[in-house]
Amino acid sequence: MTALLQIAFDALNLGSLYALGALGIALIFGVMRLVNFAHGDYMAFCVFALLWPSTDAAAIVFAGNLPFYVLVPLVLAVGALLSMLSEILVYRRFRNANPATMMIASFALGFVIRHFLLMLFSSRPKSVTLWPDLSLPVEIFGARIPMLQVITILVTIVVLVLLTLFLKRTRYGLEMRAAAENFTMARMLGVRANRVILLAFAISGMLAAAIGLILATNSGTADINMGANVMLIAFIATVIGGLGSLEGAVAAGFLIGAASVIFQATLPHDARVFRDAFVYGAVIVALLVRPQGLFAPKSAKQRV
Amino acid sequence: MRFALTLGTLTAAAALWCAPAYAGDQIVVGFATAASGFMTAYDKPAQDAALIRIDEINKAGGLLGKQIKAVFADTKTDQAEGAKAGLAVLDQGADLVIVSCDYDFGAPAALQAQAAGKVSFFLCAESVKAGIQGVGPYSFSASVLAAVQGATMAEWAYNKKNARDFYRLLDSWTVYNKGICDGFDWMMPRLKDAKLVGEDTFKNDDPSIASQITRIKSLPKEPDAIMLCTMMPGAVSAIKQIRAAGIKSMILNGSGVDGSYWLNATPDLSNFFVPVQGSIYGDDPNPKVNEFNAKYKAVTGGDPSSQYVYPGYVLIDVWAKAVERAKSTDAAAVVAELEKMKDEPTLFGPRTFTSEIHHQNRGRYLIVDTENGKPKVVDEWTISEKIPVDYLTSK
Amino acid sequence: MPQRSSVLWRTISTPVMLILGLLVIAALTYWLGNRPFNRTVVEMLINIMVVTGLYVFVGNSGVLSFGHISFMCLGAYMTAWLTIPPFMKSVTLRGLPDFILHSQLPMWIATPLSGLLAAVFALIVGRIIMRLSGIAASIATFGLLGVVNNVYSNWDSVTGGQGSIVGTPPTMNVWIGWIGATVAIIIAYLYAISRSGLALRAARDESVAASASGIDIVRERLIAFVVSAFIIGLAGALYAHFLSIVNPGSFYLRTTFITLAMLVVGGMYSLTGAVVGVVVLSALIELLRDLEKGVTVGSTVIGIPNGVQEIAIGLIMVAILMFLPAGLTRNRELTWSGWPFGGASKGA
Repeated sequence: MTALLQIAFDALNLGSLYALGALGIALIFGVMRLVNFAHGDYMAFCVFALLWPSTDAAAIVFAGNLPFYVLVPLVLAVGALLSMLSEILVYRRFRNANPATMMIASFALGFVIRHFLLMLFSSRPKSVTLWPDLSLPVEIFGARIPMLQVITILVTIVVLVLLTLFLKRTRYGLEMRAAAENFTMARMLGVRANRVILLAFAISGMLAAAIGLILATNSGTADINMGANVMLIAFIATVIGGLGSLEGAVAAGFLIGAASVIFQATLPHDARVFRDAFVYGAVIVALLVRPQGLFAPKSAKQRV
Repeated sequence: MRFALTLGTLTAAAALWCAPAYAGDQIVVGFATAASGFMTAYDKPAQDAALIRIDEINKAGGLLGKQIKAVFADTKTDQAEGAKAGLAVLDQGADLVIVSCDYDFGAPAALQAQAAGKVSFFLCAESVKAGIQGVGPYSFSASVLAAVQGATMAEWAYNKKNARDFYRLLDSWTVYNKGICDGFDWMMPRLKDAKLVGEDTFKNDDPSIASQITRIKSLPKEPDAIMLCTMMPGAVSAIKQIRAAGIKSMILNGSGVDGSYWLNATPDLSNFFVPVQGSIYGDDPNPKVNEFNAKYKAVTGGDPSSQYVYPGYVLIDVWAKAVERAKSTDAAAVVAELEKMKDEPTLFGPRTFTSEIHHQNRGRYLIVDTENGKPKVVDEWTISEKIPVDYLTSK
Repeated sequence: MPQRSSVLWRTISTPVMLILGLLVIAALTYWLGNRPFNRTVVEMLINIMVVTGLYVFVGNSGVLSFGHISFMCLGAYMTAWLTIPPFMKSVTLRGLPDFILHSQLPMWIATPLSGLLAAVFALIVGRIIMRLSGIAASIATFGLLGVVNNVYSNWDSVTGGQGSIVGTPPTMNVWIGWIGATVAIIIAYLYAISRSGLALRAARDESVAASASGIDIVRERLIAFVVSAFIIGLAGALYAHFLSIVNPGSFYLRTTFITLAMLVVGGMYSLTGAVVGVVVLSALIELLRDLEKGVTVGSTVIGIPNGVQEIAIGLIMVAILMFLPAGLTRNRELTWSGWPFGGASKGA
């Protein structure tokens, strides 16, 4: 029983990370059909913003020593700014471009960010100590769970609730949902495209920053590739969930997290190194069963 | 298209301008290492150490009466560029080609050296393939095999820490990681009544290894020691998560996690053991090592970041000795002299090369224990027997 | 069929000019370039094969594929299995079947076999994946890449795991590279003017109209998938001979994105775009790398700091796409008279 509970928490924890990532990608995809491959690099950038640039092995912590009520908003702001900046400088000029062109442009942008960090910080992981108390385990129904896992799950729930309220209850949220459903139509009905898109980028950037913070707290390090894995899985989750569907993205993020944990827990030892092959295989099967995604929005149907 | 052609021709011309000039009465050592990209952080420190040794030799009158000249080519942490970098330093007349730390990134340049009939040394590769078994008979590595690290930790923990129940956690990301665990696997049956109570795998970039930890925690009794076969950057994350889950077992590692630069990430880390060839913490039993550390700091402006600085120094040291003994830089003669080395003393432990293996399948290791976040040398260990070459190549 | 021959007549100039252009590059390199530069050009020619292979599928079907580098992986390993001398294989790759373990094939037999293996594999998985369309198909190909990479990284007895396996004979030079690129271009061209190619492009541009006129999109897509896998399998085989070491890490995300970027920057719907994208980006990368090393102009050495090359190439790619969203060739083909024969438009 305790073991099951432990596995459930592990799955929720990993799923939360993927869900937050998928949400950030789905938001942008919704408003401008862009799969933002630079999203993972935003995560790393936000964490490196806590450090002073130096290629020495030992990290010089710069903003990381601030109290959390300053630090968290600061990092979120960095994420939002970086994301908005990339929209203003780059993506705005791709409004009518082919999705493939946009995808490659975002990949190139991510490549630039990554190599910029590499030049400033070198590839050695840098230690960042954020809230060491969070590493202590807590006991829940007999299962000993690291505090951070609980917080990750809580943060995800809070973010989801806030975002749902925002999308359902506010004017901006309404506009964003309308834009996600049918961008051209929404524009005709008076939705201010640039503002909605900029807002989506800001939220997406903050989500990236939040994941960056969680990853950094969990691993204690900043590494230039730290966001890559979450980004890839999140990208897959957005598609499995049904492109354009935020609920779908979140659900699929949790599903992939759960699948990964369950494969890890149940596969025999010799097969465990092939876990990722099983996960990707499951992805292909999911797509074959539901090509439009698990929660396909109406807009996903082909119009003739 | 015409534009492209023009560009192509221009680059061809540009490449010609940089055509190499042969060195006259000098001995040329070529570095085909990463000056940009991921591997830079690992190649640069060892390369600096090699340059320190070259400088020492030059100041002492040179090698065979000639000065050693270092030439460089950037591999850009790319395999295809690595082969080009190898060619570039060979074209500049390199008698010795020093290649990237990692086997995968260093092998392309080493193969070029092998094809040109020149000696090549990996800066710090720890796979048995970094030598005869992979690249060919003129290839060497100055470090000690990863498998020796795993075997050393297992035997030492068994004898000195009375560890009996072992848990094996492998990060399946690289050959280096698997190498550590291979050495551990080889040693285990040799330790009477030592038991493997469980094993698991993860991947370096897994955002969380919670489910692997759950498996350890569901054991009836916490294992005495966890053999953790991993490397940077995922190692820090794994160690932090293991300790965060309240697992207090001793953690045994390979040398890849040496260094104090990341220790802040897991405050008050204790019961944590790493094998090293020399200590960067200023407490090496050999005072010459501490002198070297000071010299390194004077030259580069920083302390050595990890023990992987040292093999760079060792490789120039042993190669220069072989050249002196062969009285020539001719590859065949130098290789023959290198293969005669048996427990050749160096600052960082003895080195043995044979016609069978150009790597260390046994080696002296210092054991660094980290208690409350403070690493220090507590012991020294050499495994009781050599790991057989057959076992290593069969892995 | 008079219609067919007229397509051939109108369009044959494209592959001919591309192949001749590459021949000029190869010849200049052979006579003027030093050894490292020769390798740069060989790598470029192999990349042309990969990107041309990608074009066969992506360009004709309009479906972005992230999975094609797995065919390169298959081809490269197949060549390694077939051409590494038995005494080396028997140590590291003991899991291979005996008839492979104890034999060694020459390059000219092993290379087509490698392409064939990739094609057969593509036929098997393509039958499943090609039922999907649009972004779902893209992600499925991505899943394919993930599975192949994971299996090749961990199937130690047959692939040697993550580590590099060494020993493929280093037989590549610019001429073989040029032959490879020529074969790739000819296959891609023949496919593009074939019935299947025309049908697939029609389906790409007007899928409803195309299926209404009786085109079996899944079947045509599968054909393109298999043809492109064959070309990329060949490229993988040549890559193994080029580097003479093979490891799964070379055939993963980095290569996938770089080759896709080359295709899109060149113009993803044209064969000329595929070739030009590779040539231009390779030339730019080489120029920047030379700048990093420092170029002597007069008495001063001009150089840029190490690592700037990657940043600059990323920025250049963004800029090209920003100003030429349809790529350098704007999806047009190169022809004698300079007139486009279609591609971006619904012609062709």
